Amino acid sequence: MADLLRAEKVARSYGGVYALKGVNFALRAGEVHALMGENGAGKSTLIKILAGSVKPDRGSILVDEKPVSINTPLDSQRFGLGIIYQELDFFPNLTVGENIVIRNLHFPQSSFVNYRRIDSFCRPFLDQVGFNGDSRGLVGALPIGQLQLVALARALSMNARMILMDEPTSALAADGVRRLLSLICALRDRGISIVYVSHKMEEVFAVCDRATVLRDGETIGTRQVQNTTTAELIRMMVGRDVENRQQTESSRAGDVLLSVNALTTGKLKNVSFDLHQGEVLGVAGLVGSGRSALGAALFGLDPVKSGDIRLRGNSIKPRSPASAIAQGIGLVPEDRKLQGLMMQMSVLENSTISTIGRMCRFGFISRNHENEMAEPLFRQLKLKSASPLSQVSTLSGGNQQKALLARWLLIDPDVLFLDDPARGIDIVAKQDIYRIIARLAEAGKGLILVSSELPELLNCCHRIIVLNQGRVSLTVDSSEASQELIMAAAISAQAGGEQQ
Amino acid sequence: MTLHARELAVRASSGVSSAFAVDGVKRMAALAGVILLAILISPAASDGSRIFLDPGNLTDILRQVSLIGIISLAMTFVILTGGIDLSVGSILALSTSLSAMALTRFWPSSSYLAHICLTLLLATLASALAGTLNGAVIALFDIQPFIATLASMIGLRGLAKWITQNANIDIGFGQDVAAAFASIFRQKSLVIGSYALLAFVFWILLGRTVFGRHVRAIGDNETAARYAGLPIRRVKSIVYILSGLLAGYAGILYTAENSQGNPNAGVGYELDAIAAVVIGGTRLSGGKGSIAGTIVGTLIMGILTNMLRLKNVDSNVEMMIKAIIIVLAVAIQKQRRAA
Repeated sequence: MADLLRAEKVARSYGGVYALKGVNFALRAGEVHALMGENGAGKSTLIKILAGSVKPDRGSILVDEKPVSINTPLDSQRFGLGIIYQELDFFPNLTVGENIVIRNLHFPQSSFVNYRRIDSFCRPFLDQVGFNGDSRGLVGALPIGQLQLVALARALSMNARMILMDEPTSALAADGVRRLLSLICALRDRGISIVYVSHKMEEVFAVCDRATVLRDGETIGTRQVQNTTTAELIRMMVGRDVENRQQTESSRAGDVLLSVNALTTGKLKNVSFDLHQGEVLGVAGLVGSGRSALGAALFGLDPVKSGDIRLRGNSIKPRSPASAIAQGIGLVPEDRKLQGLMMQMSVLENSTISTIGRMCRFGFISRNHENEMAEPLFRQLKLKSASPLSQVSTLSGGNQQKALLARWLLIDPDVLFLDDPARGIDIVAKQDIYRIIARLAEAGKGLILVSSELPELLNCCHRIIVLNQGRVSLTVDSSEASQELIMAAAISAQAGGEQQ
Repeated sequence: MTLHARELAVRASSGVSSAFAVDGVKRMAALAGVILLAILISPAASDGSRIFLDPGNLTDILRQVSLIGIISLAMTFVILTGGIDLSVGSILALSTSLSAMALTRFWPSSSYLAHICLTLLLATLASALAGTLNGAVIALFDIQPFIATLASMIGLRGLAKWITQNANIDIGFGQDVAAAFASIFRQKSLVIGSYALLAFVFWILLGRTVFGRHVRAIGDNETAARYAGLPIRRVKSIVYILSGLLAGYAGILYTAENSQGNPNAGVGYELDAIAAVVIGGTRLSGGKGSIAGTIVGTLIMGILTNMLRLKNVDSNVEMMIKAIIIVLAVAIQKQRRAA
């Protein structure tokens, strides 16, 4: 059978780092094809390339066996591709109908808005997906499940033959998922091909005909869903080797430093764990599983609904980052540019901003004192900068992260939560950061390390907890853990037996 | 050589960072250019000297820019946090109205010294309170500074007009406490001296204190500042209180200089102050800027005004020329950043 859509050896790099190294992917007419892979495997980049919002460096895209170049989102519409992003791309203050016809090549454009014409254009497509609401209602007022339907109707109205859905069920409740899956089957029966990006095995096995697994920007393989198993797909997703796995001594000898008991917030359900002195506790889980929400709860960013947090046996209630810091908890945020650094300020100022009050003489900042405090840390972190006074935005990602770490070394909290600290930085800087983490643990601190890279967790951590839909689905000593075990716990349908 | 250069950069950056030292040099070059232009086109006095360079003229310029100069010092802090204060003109009007009322109507039996002190206290307290109100609305209710201070710009103007029944209150034409007050606070040396002193204090405050560091950090990236545990609400409140205080002090000087309390005074001062800050290179989006820049911006505006007046340029044309200068100044800085 001829392929409707084929990507051949598609590669794309961002600033020297490969997001895609050479991906092959083929979509046949009338199939639902799962696209799977860990966070960062390259799924999103591939979708962006097909959507025309990112250009590939190499490789070719074929539609109906003819090479095409997709330069803009309108091109992708012309080739019959409909994209439904995870973060739905609607204009919240426009109506359902307006959102469907805007930039729609199949709607005769005119300079004036004619709601009746919009209504009659949209209605058939809205009916096809089972959307009963008013097409003149504002999109911003709709719940997420309804938005999915509008997005599908929009794709259909653009005459899409192929619909790419990026984790469409990640925000849906169980019955919403069921309805969406049956809609997908109905669309397939009408001859529409669907690319279904998901981590959820039961959905893949319920609706998909084939599954392709990506890992580290490469295609690992494509399987007939009926001939494969969950175990095989997981193995394909995580098959990276764990290099020089260190013998991380279980340091249970240390006293319990932080004890989290039945912690519940908007995104966490009943999360419990202990963190010992000198221990590095890994937190694994998919994006949105609650790993960042755990940091937000400990650091006073998200309100705690129930449960308690004890530091050295004393109950603490962080109400804001400032209060969390005062009580001995620190957080290195996931997004260092948005949440971490003041990009126009110098490296030195960024690292001393929280502790500058200690570097004063007679109420005035002493620059010498400031330098004396920060310089040894810069050396320890191997932070490379033309001068401590260079603007932090001129540094590489790794050195920026080190400047941020220097700030936390100066604050010196008892417990430091590191949210994917080695993401997107070069391998040498990564090693430097792992070294600092190990040194902090030796000094008796408690560290919580979130990471998308399982080998990183297995190498750096003493124990690992896996979060799945806001719950702890697995707690395991890293000496007994494997990537397969963690991945299975991260993507399993229900948060299973809570081990403690 | 490189060591020497780096040492220079470190020293020159006593304001902020080394990139700023370069900015500082260009800023001084701009100021020197304007001064040179003013000297060149200045009309000659009868003895052949340049009128612009006459010491009396130079100190007049400084005195004339002092009110806007003082207001723009605190405005620099406000803008550095990413905010704006549109209410300074109205706070000035409230302060001048209150001080004229205090001098002519309140406490008739107290001694001159006590009377003047009480007047200063009243005007200062009221202005600080107005600034506190701005700060509270912005920091506690998370309302955009533009809107919050737009509201107080309207409301405080109304308050000043209401308490004075929309009438000017003349002072200082007799032999009373008001005359004594006016004769003290209209002295060139006091006006210029207090501008210079406040400029120094705010320069130190920005460059050498924890508060100043926090001001810049919050304007640079408020989210990151929150994650770093900085006291954002407190810092924001304080900058608006400072802004109110300085506008109030400018109102006291206004009263003495014009021998009246005028509820319609200070209209448009907020825009002049913002212009001075922006010409001085402070980013309207916050995070980057300096007191030295604001002083240069204030002086450039003042010298231009003086130059055009000496040449008898129509004051309406003067406004048009100023408009061009503002756009040019900011455009040049944009280019510098892109380079």
